[in-house]
Amino acid sequence: MSVDSARGNHVVGQAATRQTPTAAASAAAPLLKSLKYGLLGTLMPLAFVAIWWAAVAAGFFPRSVLPSPFAVGAAMFDWAFGDPARGGYSGTLLAAIGASGQRVIMGYGIAMILGVAIGVPTGASKLLGALVDPFIHLLRPIPVTAWVPLSLVFFGFGFKGAVFLVALGSFFPIVVNTIEGVRGANRSLIKVGRMLGARGFRLLWFFILPASLPSIFVGLRLGMGISWVLIIVAEMMSVKSGIGYTLLDAYSFGRFDVVIAAMITLGLMGFLSDRIILAIEAVVLRWHRETSIHAEP
Amino acid sequence: MQNPDVIVSCEGLDRTFVTKDAGENKVLQDINLQIRKGEFVVLIGPSGCGKSTLLNIIAGFDQPTSGLAAIAGEQIEGPGPDKAMVFQDYALLPWLNARENVEIGLRMKGVASAERTQQAMHVLGLVGLSEAAERPVYRLSGGMQQRVSIARALALKPKVLLMDEPFGALDAFQRAIMHKELVRIWRATGATIVFVTHSLEEAVFLGERVVAMTPKAVGLTGELIIDMPRPRDPLSPEFAALKRKLYEMLTAHLPADVDLFAD
Repeated sequence: MSVDSARGNHVVGQAATRQTPTAAASAAAPLLKSLKYGLLGTLMPLAFVAIWWAAVAAGFFPRSVLPSPFAVGAAMFDWAFGDPARGGYSGTLLAAIGASGQRVIMGYGIAMILGVAIGVPTGASKLLGALVDPFIHLLRPIPVTAWVPLSLVFFGFGFKGAVFLVALGSFFPIVVNTIEGVRGANRSLIKVGRMLGARGFRLLWFFILPASLPSIFVGLRLGMGISWVLIIVAEMMSVKSGIGYTLLDAYSFGRFDVVIAAMITLGLMGFLSDRIILAIEAVVLRWHRETSIHAEP
Repeated sequence: MQNPDVIVSCEGLDRTFVTKDAGENKVLQDINLQIRKGEFVVLIGPSGCGKSTLLNIIAGFDQPTSGLAAIAGEQIEGPGPDKAMVFQDYALLPWLNARENVEIGLRMKGVASAERTQQAMHVLGLVGLSEAAERPVYRLSGGMQQRVSIARALALKPKVLLMDEPFGALDAFQRAIMHKELVRIWRATGATIVFVTHSLEEAVFLGERVVAMTPKAVGLTGELIIDMPRPRDPLSPEFAALKRKLYEMLTAHLPADVDLFAD
């Protein structure tokens, strides 16, 4: 009897001790997993830099055209933290990012407001769709760079012209994805809205707009990518500040270390702004993510 | 003169759909139906009999080709909160939690925020979902989602509650639970309910009056008053007898080319 109960206790105890490390491991597992995937993401950029360094070291390219990663790193450091009194590009990175960023935010903001405000009613109404849709699709194939001469005539050199080009370029993906999002919205949700007594603007705002957000966010991400392309075009052609201006200026002086540093900065800015949109999306579209195929069961 | 007790009134209702490939399809012909306040009416019939079309006309989603459809003596002009529908696919707004899904209809009515929450919690309690009020609706089971949908409709205090095969997507056990729940809710609220189904069992369990419809028929096929006391036992001989009676009513008028169990 006492032996039996002792053995029983022993078995229970063993089960308990066996369970503890498993529980700890399962708690740490998601963290480890995300760390593993994070490290995986840095693998290719590191390999790329290594090949670049090796190619330069082996003398495949003249150093005046393709500087080594270390030279670019040094140029980047000087651009960011150098003493502005030294002249050249020293210590002007923040100002350049500020100038470009300001234009992007302004132009993109205008595109976002107009794209959604025009896209939602255009997608919802057959009549408006027939009126506006063909016009949008006629304008859309015109490359935004082809608008540069007109932009110069109307907005001149400087802030306004750059904002115009960014707004125009990012407007199209946003408006088209908004229209398609509204058209693809679940019909029964619109039925529900009408049953609940919503008409006109309130039907759009409370029922159709939220239902179209997954598609609108696709447009917002595409539009942001295009914004960073166009700000560089604008700054190369018509503005005397910003990352794009620095890039072209450095090229004209043969400073390829600065050119590449500017390219890397642009890449990072684009990456960062995409991450910001994704972070907002993760909150706003939680319902959509959790009902999609990527949802954890 | 109109009986003030009548909530839903259909007089000489026709609905013809014209399609390019199939030509004219007379789905409803000369339908006359009156539903009184507090009644639980079930519309039953095989696919294509027009029961959902009739419900959609009462809801205001569809218009009759000719004839009159009225709610409380007023001609139906379009969908609205006085004729609330419970959809087969629940049609909840996935970006809102259970309580907000119930509140949105009250918000459209212009009810103030605090008042909205109070009323929403009351109807959620009525359908047994007080605990799940703050949960996202996509995390709820099918049965619970349909309860939210019923709560959303009840919160509108509609003149008539329209239900379009609401339990069709549930498994047999959940469906049986929802049947009992719906009878309880009906008795607690005194709501007027029009319930569309193709299940004999559902019709006999729920209805006070079952209206039978068959495809291509002129008028309604028949009517069965279910005076069996509640709670009704689906395994009792009386229940089986009523099912048989209803089945015979439906099959007696069925055109030769229509299979009752095609669906």
